[in-house]
Amino acid sequence: MEIVKILPSRLDVLPDLLLEVSVQLKNYQISENDIFQIRSCLQEALVNAIKHGNNLKEDLSVTLRILAHPDSVEIEIEDQGSGFDLNSVEDPTRNENLCKLSGRGVFLIKEQMDKVEFLDGGCKLKMVKFFKKENA
Amino acid sequence: MEINIQKMNDIALCIIVGEININNSPELRKAFDELISADEKKVVVDFSGVPYADSSGLATLIEMFQRLQKIDGHLKLSHLDQKVKNIFEITKLTKLFEIYDTKQQAIEDFA
Repeated sequence: MEIVKILPSRLDVLPDLLLEVSVQLKNYQISENDIFQIRSCLQEALVNAIKHGNNLKEDLSVTLRILAHPDSVEIEIEDQGSGFDLNSVEDPTRNENLCKLSGRGVFLIKEQMDKVEFLDGGCKLKMVKFFKKENA
Repeated sequence: MEINIQKMNDIALCIIVGEININNSPELRKAFDELISADEKKVVVDFSGVPYADSSGLATLIEMFQRLQKIDGHLKLSHLDQKVKNIFEITKLTKLFEIYDTKQQAIEDFA
Protein backbone atom coordinates (compact mmCIF):
# COMPACT_ATOMS: atom_id res chain seq x y z
CA MET A 1 0.00 0.00 0.00
CA GLU A 2 1.27 3.44 -0.84
CA ILE A 3 -0.55 6.65 -0.02
CA VAL A 4 0.72 10.06 -1.12
CA LYS A 5 -1.32 13.13 -0.20
CA ILE A 6 -0.74 16.85 -0.50
CA LEU A 7 -2.80 18.32 2.30
CA PRO A 8 -3.94 21.90 2.88
CA SER A 9 -2.94 23.38 6.24
CA ARG A 10 -6.35 22.75 7.78
CA LEU A 11 -7.02 20.60 10.81
CA ASP A 12 -10.50 19.65 9.62
CA VAL A 13 -9.02 17.40 6.92
CA LEU A 14 -7.58 15.05 9.55
CA PRO A 15 -10.58 12.93 10.68
CA ASP A 16 -11.42 11.59 7.19
CA LEU A 17 -7.76 11.09 6.32
CA LEU A 18 -7.00 9.17 9.52
CA LEU A 19 -10.09 7.01 9.05
CA GLU A 20 -9.00 6.18 5.49
CA VAL A 21 -5.49 5.19 6.63
CA SER A 22 -6.85 3.08 9.52
CA VAL A 23 -9.22 1.22 7.16
CA GLN A 24 -6.40 0.53 4.69
CA LEU A 25 -4.07 -0.72 7.43
CA LYS A 26 -6.71 -3.24 8.49
CA ASN A 27 -5.98 -5.09 5.22
CA TYR A 28 -2.65 -6.06 6.76
CA GLN A 29 -2.10 -8.45 9.64
CA ILE A 30 -1.72 -5.66 12.14
CA SER A 31 -2.94 -5.69 15.72
CA GLU A 32 -5.58 -3.19 16.81
CA ASN A 33 -2.99 -1.73 19.17
CA ASP A 34 -0.49 -1.10 16.35
CA ILE A 35 -3.20 0.58 14.24
CA PHE A 36 -4.14 2.73 17.25
CA GLN A 37 -0.52 3.78 17.79
CA ILE A 38 0.11 4.52 14.09
CA ARG A 39 -3.07 6.59 14.00
CA SER A 40 -2.03 8.41 17.18
CA CYS A 41 1.40 9.27 15.73
CA LEU A 42 -0.11 10.38 12.41
CA GLN A 43 -2.52 12.68 14.26
CA GLU A 44 0.22 14.23 16.41
CA ALA A 45 2.67 14.61 13.51
CA LEU A 46 0.11 16.10 11.12
CA VAL A 47 -1.16 18.54 13.77
CA ASN A 48 2.44 19.63 14.39
CA ALA A 49 3.06 20.10 10.66
CA ILE A 50 -0.19 21.98 10.00
CA LYS A 51 -0.39 24.05 13.18
CA HIS A 52 3.20 24.60 14.28
CA GLY A 53 5.06 24.03 10.99
CA ASN A 54 2.81 25.85 8.54
CA ASN A 55 1.07 28.03 11.16
CA LEU A 56 -2.32 27.08 9.67
CA LYS A 57 -1.51 29.11 6.53
CA GLU A 58 -3.80 27.63 3.92
CA ASP A 59 -1.46 28.53 1.05
CA LEU A 60 1.14 26.19 2.55
CA SER A 61 0.79 22.43 2.23
CA VAL A 62 1.83 19.31 4.06
CA THR A 63 3.03 16.29 2.11
CA LEU A 64 2.20 12.87 3.56
CA ARG A 65 3.71 9.63 2.25
CA ILE A 66 2.78 6.27 3.74
CA LEU A 67 4.37 3.06 2.52
CA ALA A 68 3.13 -0.17 4.10
CA HIS A 69 5.20 -3.35 3.91
CA PRO A 70 4.13 -6.80 5.14
CA ASP A 71 5.92 -6.21 8.45
CA SER A 72 6.14 -2.43 8.85
CA VAL A 73 4.90 0.97 7.81
CA GLU A 74 7.07 3.94 6.82
CA ILE A 75 5.62 7.43 7.13
CA GLU A 76 7.05 10.76 5.93
CA ILE A 77 5.45 14.10 6.74
CA GLU A 78 6.90 17.31 5.35
CA ASP A 79 5.72 20.85 6.01
CA GLN A 80 6.76 24.19 4.50
CA GLY A 81 7.52 25.97 7.75
CA SER A 82 10.81 27.13 9.20
CA GLY A 83 11.44 23.93 11.15
CA PHE A 84 11.93 23.46 14.85
CA ASP A 85 14.60 22.46 17.30
CA LEU A 86 13.85 19.00 18.66
CA ASN A 87 16.06 19.75 21.65
CA SER A 88 13.69 22.56 22.66
CA VAL A 89 11.01 19.99 23.54
CA GLU A 90 11.23 19.18 27.23
CA ASP A 91 10.50 15.70 28.58
CA PRO A 92 6.79 15.94 29.51
CA THR A 93 7.06 12.98 31.89
CA ARG A 94 9.35 14.79 34.34
CA ASN A 95 7.43 15.70 37.48
CA GLU A 96 7.98 19.43 36.93
CA ASN A 97 6.50 19.17 33.41
CA LEU A 98 3.47 16.98 34.11
CA CYS A 99 1.10 19.96 34.27
CA LYS A 100 2.46 21.66 31.13
CA LEU A 101 -0.11 21.86 28.39
CA SER A 102 2.24 21.26 25.43
CA GLY A 103 5.14 19.03 24.44
CA ARG A 104 3.40 15.64 24.45
CA GLY A 105 2.86 15.23 20.68
CA VAL A 106 6.51 14.64 19.75
CA PHE A 107 7.00 12.53 22.87
CA LEU A 108 4.07 10.25 21.93
CA ILE A 109 5.53 9.84 18.44
CA LYS A 110 8.97 8.88 19.78
CA GLU A 111 7.48 6.43 22.28
CA GLN A 112 5.03 4.70 19.93
CA MET A 113 7.14 4.46 16.77
CA ASP A 114 10.21 2.24 16.38
CA LYS A 115 12.31 4.72 14.35
CA VAL A 116 11.88 8.50 14.32
CA GLU A 117 14.04 11.03 12.44
CA PHE A 118 13.58 14.78 12.05
CA LEU A 119 15.26 16.07 8.89
CA ASP A 120 15.66 19.38 7.06
CA GLY A 121 15.76 21.41 10.25
CA GLY A 122 12.63 19.72 11.59
CA CYS A 123 10.44 20.31 8.50
CA LYS A 124 10.46 16.63 7.59
CA LEU A 125 9.60 13.75 9.89
CA LYS A 126 10.35 10.13 8.98
CA MET A 127 8.97 7.41 11.20
CA VAL A 128 8.74 3.63 11.04
CA LYS A 129 6.60 1.15 12.95
CA PHE A 130 7.28 -2.58 12.86
CA PHE A 131 4.08 -4.60 13.26
CA LYS A 132 3.52 -6.97 16.11
CA LYS A 133 1.50 -9.79 14.55
CA GLU A 134 -1.84 -10.57 16.19
CA ASN A 135 -1.63 -13.47 18.65
CA ALA A 136 2.17 -13.21 18.52
CA MET B 1 -17.98 13.91 20.36
CA GLU B 2 -20.97 14.17 22.69
CA ILE B 3 -20.72 15.41 26.26
CA ASN B 4 -23.45 14.49 28.71
CA ILE B 5 -23.29 15.98 32.19
CA GLN B 6 -25.27 14.42 35.04
CA LYS B 7 -25.48 15.79 38.54
CA MET B 8 -25.32 13.28 41.39
CA ASN B 9 -25.63 15.17 44.69
CA ASP B 10 -22.46 17.27 44.82
CA ILE B 11 -20.70 15.32 42.07
CA ALA B 12 -20.75 16.26 38.38
CA LEU B 13 -20.44 13.20 36.12
CA CYS B 14 -19.23 14.12 32.66
CA ILE B 15 -19.81 11.29 30.16
CA ILE B 16 -17.94 11.69 26.87
CA VAL B 17 -18.82 9.71 23.77
CA GLY B 18 -16.45 9.86 20.80
CA GLU B 19 -12.80 10.67 20.36
CA ILE B 20 -11.22 13.74 21.91
CA ASN B 21 -8.96 15.55 19.49
CA ILE B 22 -7.69 18.98 18.48
CA ASN B 23 -10.84 19.67 16.47
CA ASN B 24 -13.29 19.08 19.30
CA SER B 25 -11.29 19.71 22.49
CA PRO B 26 -12.60 23.34 22.57
CA GLU B 27 -16.10 21.85 23.09
CA LEU B 28 -14.78 19.90 26.06
CA ARG B 29 -13.09 23.04 27.44
CA LYS B 30 -16.41 24.87 27.12
CA ALA B 31 -18.21 22.11 29.08
CA PHE B 32 -15.51 22.36 31.76
CA ASP B 33 -15.91 26.18 31.80
CA GLU B 34 -19.59 25.67 32.60
CA LEU B 35 -18.78 23.27 35.45
CA ILE B 36 -16.32 25.78 36.93
CA SER B 37 -18.88 28.60 36.55
CA ALA B 38 -21.43 26.43 38.37
CA ASP B 39 -18.89 26.01 41.20
CA GLU B 40 -18.69 22.24 40.74
CA LYS B 41 -15.72 20.95 42.71
CA LYS B 42 -16.12 17.20 42.43
CA VAL B 43 -15.92 16.10 38.80
CA VAL B 44 -15.78 12.60 37.30
CA VAL B 45 -15.02 12.29 33.58
CA ASP B 46 -16.17 8.93 32.24
CA PHE B 47 -14.17 7.62 29.26
CA SER B 48 -16.17 4.45 28.56
CA GLY B 49 -17.25 5.89 25.20
CA VAL B 50 -13.87 7.38 24.25
CA PRO B 51 -11.89 5.33 21.72
CA TYR B 52 -9.03 7.84 21.34
CA ALA B 53 -7.59 11.01 22.89
CA ASP B 54 -4.80 13.09 21.38
CA SER B 55 -2.33 15.40 23.13
CA SER B 56 -4.76 18.31 22.76
CA GLY B 57 -7.40 16.30 24.64
CA LEU B 58 -4.84 15.49 27.34
CA ALA B 59 -4.00 19.19 27.64
CA THR B 60 -7.69 20.06 28.10
CA LEU B 61 -7.93 17.54 30.95
CA ILE B 62 -4.73 18.85 32.58
CA GLU B 63 -6.10 22.39 32.36
CA MET B 64 -9.31 21.29 34.13
CA PHE B 65 -7.27 19.42 36.75
CA GLN B 66 -5.37 22.64 37.50
CA ARG B 67 -8.49 24.81 37.57
CA LEU B 68 -10.17 22.46 40.04
CA GLN B 69 -7.02 22.25 42.15
CA LYS B 70 -7.04 26.05 42.51
CA ILE B 71 -10.53 25.97 44.05
CA ASP B 72 -9.79 22.90 46.20
CA GLY B 73 -11.72 20.68 43.82
CA HIS B 74 -10.90 17.26 42.39
CA LEU B 75 -11.02 15.58 38.99
CA LYS B 76 -11.29 11.81 38.64
CA LEU B 77 -11.28 9.78 35.42
CA SER B 78 -13.07 6.47 34.91
CA HIS B 79 -13.40 3.49 32.58
CA LEU B 80 -10.53 4.16 30.18
CA ASP B 81 -10.14 1.78 27.24
CA GLN B 82 -6.76 0.03 27.61
CA LYS B 83 -5.35 1.68 24.46
CA VAL B 84 -6.38 5.12 25.73
CA LYS B 85 -5.00 4.27 29.17
CA ASN B 86 -1.69 3.42 27.48
CA ILE B 87 -1.50 7.05 26.27
CA PHE B 88 -1.84 8.18 29.90
CA GLU B 89 0.77 5.63 30.97
CA ILE B 90 3.28 6.60 28.24
CA THR B 91 2.98 10.27 29.18
CA LYS B 92 3.05 9.43 32.92
CA LEU B 93 -0.24 11.28 33.40
CA THR B 94 -1.28 8.34 35.56
CA LYS B 95 0.80 10.16 38.21
CA LEU B 96 -1.38 13.25 37.88
CA PHE B 97 -4.88 11.83 37.46
CA GLU B 98 -6.82 9.50 39.71
CA ILE B 99 -8.05 6.79 37.34
CA TYR B 100 -10.78 4.29 38.28
CA ASP B 101 -12.02 1.18 36.50
CA THR B 102 -15.66 2.30 36.68
CA LYS B 103 -17.56 5.54 37.20
CA GLN B 104 -19.24 3.99 40.24
CA GLN B 105 -15.85 3.51 41.88
CA ALA B 106 -14.85 7.11 41.13
CA ILE B 107 -18.14 8.43 42.52
CA GLU B 108 -17.92 6.24 45.64
CA ASP B 109 -14.39 7.48 46.28
CA PHE B 110 -15.75 11.04 46.55
CA ALA B 111 -18.13 9.94 49.30
